[in-house]
Amino acid sequence: MQNIYQNPAALAQQTALERRVKVSVKGWQNATKQDLVSFVSRKARIAIMDSTVEGNLVVGFVNNRTDAQSLLNWNGVRFAGNSLKFEILGDNSGAAGTSSTITLLKAFLYKRYNPQAKMLDLGNLREDPDLITNGLFSSPSTQAKIFPAMMKLASKESQLIVESVNLSNNQLRDLNMISSLAQAYPNLKNLCLANNQISRFRALEVWKNKFKELRELLMMNNPINTEPLYRSEMLRLFPKLVILDSIVLRDENKLQQVYSIPMKLQQFFFETNELGQSSIDFVSNFLTLWDTNRSQLMALYTPQSQFSVAIDSSVPISSVPNSDQNPTFGHYLPLSRNLTKVSSDRTKQQRLALGQDAIDKMFKSLPKTKHFLQEQATSYSVEAFSYAQVQGFIIILHGFFEETAAPEIDANKSTPNSAGGRNRRFNHGHTNATNKLAKKSFDRTWVIVPSQGSVIVASDLLTIRPYADGSWVPREVPQQVPQQAHPQNPQQPIPATVPQPQMQPTMTNIPAQGLAAPLLLPPEVQAKLNPLQLEILNKLHQQTKLNAEYTYMLAEQSGWNFDVAIKGFQESVNNIPREAFV
Amino acid sequence: MNGQSQAVEAFVKKTFTFLDETDSQQLAPFLQCFDPAASKIIVNANPFAQAALFLETWQRAVVQTQHVLTGLDYHVIPGTGTTVCSVNAKVRFDESGKDKMGQDAVLVLDTGAVPGAPLAAAPTAKHRPLWGPYFGTSVQLVLDDRVFNGDHNCVIASFNYTMVYKPDDSLMAL
Repeated sequence: MQNIYQNPAALAQQTALERRVKVSVKGWQNATKQDLVSFVSRKARIAIMDSTVEGNLVVGFVNNRTDAQSLLNWNGVRFAGNSLKFEILGDNSGAAGTSSTITLLKAFLYKRYNPQAKMLDLGNLREDPDLITNGLFSSPSTQAKIFPAMMKLASKESQLIVESVNLSNNQLRDLNMISSLAQAYPNLKNLCLANNQISRFRALEVWKNKFKELRELLMMNNPINTEPLYRSEMLRLFPKLVILDSIVLRDENKLQQVYSIPMKLQQFFFETNELGQSSIDFVSNFLTLWDTNRSQLMALYTPQSQFSVAIDSSVPISSVPNSDQNPTFGHYLPLSRNLTKVSSDRTKQQRLALGQDAIDKMFKSLPKTKHFLQEQATSYSVEAFSYAQVQGFIIILHGFFEETAAPEIDANKSTPNSAGGRNRRFNHGHTNATNKLAKKSFDRTWVIVPSQGSVIVASDLLTIRPYADGSWVPREVPQQVPQQAHPQNPQQPIPATVPQPQMQPTMTNIPAQGLAAPLLLPPEVQAKLNPLQLEILNKLHQQTKLNAEYTYMLAEQSGWNFDVAIKGFQESVNNIPREAFV
Repeated sequence: MNGQSQAVEAFVKKTFTFLDETDSQQLAPFLQCFDPAASKIIVNANPFAQAALFLETWQRAVVQTQHVLTGLDYHVIPGTGTTVCSVNAKVRFDESGKDKMGQDAVLVLDTGAVPGAPLAAAPTAKHRPLWGPYFGTSVQLVLDDRVFNGDHNCVIASFNYTMVYKPDDSLMAL
């Protein structure tokens, strides 16, 4: 306090802060938050301070209540095609009231939490002295509100790791008050509801298909456990329940066997270690060129090589993490050789590209892409094994890519279709919406034949499907763990190779030779780069003062990631030859 | 070519039918589809030394499945007598808690259970599967060209089966 008296400015600041009023704005979606704030300040001459975006709202503070009231007069003002809606969210004193309740509840939660047992003890809430003195459990209406509020708070506290919850002695007749427990702790393992008044199965039905990991349930001293179907109903509601009222009802080993697949999913399979390293080299070199300059890949194909693309347009169920529920395949469908969908013999033949020319054309008809093999190694899974009949091997890659630009050749226009131009399907209602660029998942199978110190691709089968997180991606596990397991984690190779005019020696010398070609960034190379890549090149050039060819190599080898490239440059700047600079 | 692709599609569908089979007696013909000398079998990036071992594990330790073919493409590799095939499918599992034999993990259901109540039914009775949400799977097959003539004997030279996406709300752990 003394500080404030000695420093009137701070006191003024403090009072100003106390007078502030919290407001929210709706209907601003077509512009940025900054645009909105400047618009309001221009139009209404009221400053919205410390604004943040919360869902579809912009929330911020105005200087005082008068400002807040006059802001309300601007309700309905047109901005970026929408009318705005202002609301007062309560001044500071009100917020303080809520926040003090929140503080109180948080303190209560921590008091009742046992970190060793990972247990949250919410038993006998109505006799808790803290809750009584604060009147939080005095009337049925506050009781009904306080539990959901508590659950919401608890689920936001990342320090509260809860495997067990005790709700005994709460005079519960049903789960209405506590149903939000299932949202807060869907993976709860142990639950105690003993000494309550739960009497009907119907009351428990809201938890059906929730608590999939519930292992132990205690319901002693509830009227329900005298019901004849009590045990079978509990087993039905909780599929992984093992212990009910201290009695073992399910064989845990058997249960685990039924609900798991013995072949545990791995990210990688390589028949031999050498195959592992060479597969990863092949895949990363191939995709680097696939993303930047597909024509250079032609050296890998022979007149007998085959390529085709199949679209699997089946949309994953919405509970698949990050799955694209509204995918578009407009650019691909005219090329798709998904034989479950294509019936015409002629189409099947047309959509199989045989030899370099046909393959090159089909490559150009596919949207430009960016793969993230280096940056997000965990998003990719690889299997590789030998293929005796071709004296080579098969490499299969599962993962995703980002579409960065429309294809060079629009297959919707250029593909001669079997209907001889009479097909009106594409002339009608064909809009850009079907061609929007997005993330896609894919599975790609290469049949590789080693040949004279290099390799050729005998067959290249690409399946493109709606984006979904890979099933091998660990959930809630920090990035480092899987990256360590990755045999190709590029911590050191990138910086080390930056100054070298050639890529690391790899199984595929062909992409390496190919890379040496576009050194001077001739116009035709530049034309193949997307705007993002050009921007990265320019930025790198300015920062590093490297000449065009070295800038290009730096960008290429860092997977077109500016930060990685700069880091690599800084780490190896002393080894870079003089002639590399302008 | 139409005949060829129909033959491949028929074979892939037959493979899925075998995988979805609950009766182990029916699996003998599936075993014969694998080349016993040199078949490579990889499931979720786990290799199996022999087809018999894979089928036995699949039969014993994986609950009933249902596969739906969603994508298929193949290339005949000239001069090798083989064809490489890329298949996409979705698959769901019986999440009723019962294995292929209809056995579940429940130990005691004595006290108070009314005789003849649904759960007390004999485990040998044919149970109805409770299908969970669909998983995505990607399968690569190397097949002998004899498959085009409808010959399925020892045609699978390699079989690579990988789950590519999984729903959050499934009871199954991968």
